[in-house]
Amino acid sequence: MRLKRSAVAVATASLLALAACGGGGDDDSGGSSAGDKVDNENLGNTGSGTDPDRQGPVTIEGAKEGGTVNVISSPGMTTPIDPSDLYYTDTNAIMTSLVTRALTQYSYDADTGQMILVPDLATDLGTPNDDFTEWKFTLRDGVKWENGQPVTADEVMFGIVRSMDGKTFPNGPGLYYSNPYFLGGEDYKGPYTDPDAQQQAVSVDGNTITIKMATPFPDFPYYASFPAMGPIPTDPAVSDPAKYAQHPLATGPYKIEQYTIGKSMTLVRNDQWDPATDPARTAYPDSYVFKVGQQSEAIDQIMLADSGDGKTTIAYDDVLAQDYRKMDETGRLVTGGQPCTYFYALDQRKVPDKSIAEALTWAIPYNDQIVATGLIPDVNAVATQNLMPPGVPGREEYDPVEGHGPFQTDPEKAKQILADSGNEGFEIKFLFSTDSDVSTAGKDVLVKGLEAAGFKATPVATTLADSVADRDDVNGDINMRSYGWCSDWPSGATWVPPIFQSTDLEEVGFGTNEAAFNNPEIDAKIDAVFEMPAEEQPKAWNDLEKEIMTTYLPVVPRYYGGVVQMHGSQIEGMVIDNTLGMPSFRNIWVNAG
Amino acid sequence: MALDRGDLVVEESTALSHDEAHESSTTTKEIAGKSPRQIAFSRLRRDKLAVFCTLTLVFLVLLAICAPLITRFFDIYWDVSDPNAPNTTDVLDFDGYPKIGPPFHGFTWDHPLGVAPRKGYDNLAYLLYGLRTSLVVCVLATVFSTLIGVVLGLVAGFSRGWLDRGISFFTDLLLSFPYLLAMLALAPIITSRFTTDLDMLAKAQVISLISILVIFGWMGLARLIRGQVLSLREREFILAAEVIGVPTRQILFKEMLPNLVAPIVISISLSLPAFVAAEAGLSFLGLGLTGYPSLGKMVADATPYYADYGLYLWLPVGAIALLTLSLNLLGDAVRDAFDPRTRR
Repeated sequence: MRLKRSAVAVATASLLALAACGGGGDDDSGGSSAGDKVDNENLGNTGSGTDPDRQGPVTIEGAKEGGTVNVISSPGMTTPIDPSDLYYTDTNAIMTSLVTRALTQYSYDADTGQMILVPDLATDLGTPNDDFTEWKFTLRDGVKWENGQPVTADEVMFGIVRSMDGKTFPNGPGLYYSNPYFLGGEDYKGPYTDPDAQQQAVSVDGNTITIKMATPFPDFPYYASFPAMGPIPTDPAVSDPAKYAQHPLATGPYKIEQYTIGKSMTLVRNDQWDPATDPARTAYPDSYVFKVGQQSEAIDQIMLADSGDGKTTIAYDDVLAQDYRKMDETGRLVTGGQPCTYFYALDQRKVPDKSIAEALTWAIPYNDQIVATGLIPDVNAVATQNLMPPGVPGREEYDPVEGHGPFQTDPEKAKQILADSGNEGFEIKFLFSTDSDVSTAGKDVLVKGLEAAGFKATPVATTLADSVADRDDVNGDINMRSYGWCSDWPSGATWVPPIFQSTDLEEVGFGTNEAAFNNPEIDAKIDAVFEMPAEEQPKAWNDLEKEIMTTYLPVVPRYYGGVVQMHGSQIEGMVIDNTLGMPSFRNIWVNAG
Repeated sequence: MALDRGDLVVEESTALSHDEAHESSTTTKEIAGKSPRQIAFSRLRRDKLAVFCTLTLVFLVLLAICAPLITRFFDIYWDVSDPNAPNTTDVLDFDGYPKIGPPFHGFTWDHPLGVAPRKGYDNLAYLLYGLRTSLVVCVLATVFSTLIGVVLGLVAGFSRGWLDRGISFFTDLLLSFPYLLAMLALAPIITSRFTTDLDMLAKAQVISLISILVIFGWMGLARLIRGQVLSLREREFILAAEVIGVPTRQILFKEMLPNLVAPIVISISLSLPAFVAAEAGLSFLGLGLTGYPSLGKMVADATPYYADYGLYLWLPVGAIALLTLSLNLLGDAVRDAFDPRTRR
């Protein structure tokens, strides 16, 4: 899943920055770390539970109805909210929690702090055939549009088919899942681009929807939680893409009263929503008002002041590091995980020697980098060793480099490894953006860390605007790339194949395999895992990751994503949806006192 | 009280009159009259504000020149990637605030002016090297813009005809072109040119910054000089020189230029602080320097921390204010001293 759009720009910047980051150090700083206040076990936890039998309605004990929740953000909501075109974390959280319903959804589990996959429009989490090439969902009765019309199976089918129109919905997830996985999806161009063509993937029988796959897709119930896997009105006058993007019809507890992309949105109650049909959503506040595009410093000040509307305000941006202490004292800070891992990918064509990656693992000044780039160690940059974050089924912790603990920096050991393998003074070339303060700060620290460990550090200058293109240039003269990967749902299948599967460097470039790790033997093993029975796959993915990392070490993990967000004193029930790193809007209510 | 003050004034005025009497007696002895420059310098020497500003400037320049000595003495570094500099997390807490020194801890000689939050450089070291950058940039920009302005002004004023019209048009053209826009356009171009060699990049940034300041900084002086030349060239001594066939170059630089010293000196003294401010402003916007420390960059770094760590912001702001204020006041004093119509 993609992060909030501007965050992508900023994040890639910060990734590069981070890529550029480094610093030296035996950094057992002793004492003052935020780590002891934060539950690291659940921070990066991205959810693994499912509950196919969950029933509505949901109530929160002691919660009161009424009030308006204000939501503010600096970079958020600049991406489309048409369900078929929606693939960014913030709009996903907002729309799926409040406005649109899909086949399945997530529900926050207070005991584990995890998100649990539960049914939404479907009565359960679907029934697959033996080899996961066909999924059947039965729709529940009594679900209505905001205009009072019942939601029909045909409309759900149309929504799913519509997601295959990659040309009309270039931002959506369909290009990555609908087209590659659905039967005939590679050839079918979608109902708008090619209205005469017939799709073969989705069929309706009464109240049952059947989706046929071209390849086994055991994770489909997770994909079914995307807004793209929900109903769209079949009347072309209503669901015309240009028009519908302005006002997607609500099936959830709130409907859109006003919406301007990248600026503001007002949600008011949808009285056609029946809580009895919904196993996860609550709807205590009367309305939600979203305002985005404010300065981060201003947002922090609003949240710290906690006066007027600020009392009922949520900010879904991370608190700035310099305000963390003050905000933490107020007790209105919420931390949570994000299924993202940030790592350095070593170009395997230029750095084939594993000992260099090992030395790098010891050399990276993890904590120095994180602090210098404005993140908070163990709060929104969580210690890591594995590639897959906690919460991915089958994940087991291991040490990719023997004896190396999370966030451990030891330049002497790195020097030793380089000396033993005859790689003293190996040149590490990486990008940084001269016009990004965060990027240059990170570069300075990384240079120091690498030089202290006996590497030769060569930062290569670029600008924010060119940084992504320069990083993804397969012929670029760099050998270390900073990258971050966020999974769309907790499964090893969203980690090992995208990061380690061979890509045709000439034709498609790196794809998401930034290490240029092209190994036919590993490709065969990836294919083999896909062929396994579903219950064996989680462990198999973890074993495969461990094998790749301990044998080749193409990437050096740096930290997991985390979020640390603020809410006003009258907001209750704000928790973090670990699958997105966003507030779980399903549980929020206003306590006016 | 009133009496005391009266006494003081009397004393001062007697001292002044004594000085003047002394000077006039020496000049009468030498018989020769004083050149305008000598008059100006003697006026400057008696201007207390000018003397104070000069001393401040000398102090700042000395600090900048001795920056390596001072930083070595304190063992402090402006560049966090220096191998001897402390690691970021050795001096900074998890939230980026310094572990030692202000704002949350007491004074320490290890970092006399504290450590920069998040970045982890030493404030004193950065300030000294930033001062260096400011002075180098403003002096070089002033020298070159003055040279260009004087030459073009002289040529335009003296040549009449198409050359004058051409230069004047060019001057007006540059005057109307926004230099911020030029800088916005140039910064990424320069970066993409020098991606692999960061030392070259840093040098290129300094050169381009100075070039931009020069390119957009000479027009005022050129117009001023042209105006002066237009009136000077009708004077008898110039006409006489022309008549007896003195080469044009000699007329320009031997006859005209000495009469233009006053406006040039004034222009220099006023453009120095303007360039200091321009460098800081551009670097604040991220369009100036990235490879060298800059006071403007330090201001940009410090603004988010103002509420808790005011010192961090006041240091560069104070340094810029002190530098520009003393340059400006000195410039004013120089102008007054050179202007024959002001008598003090």
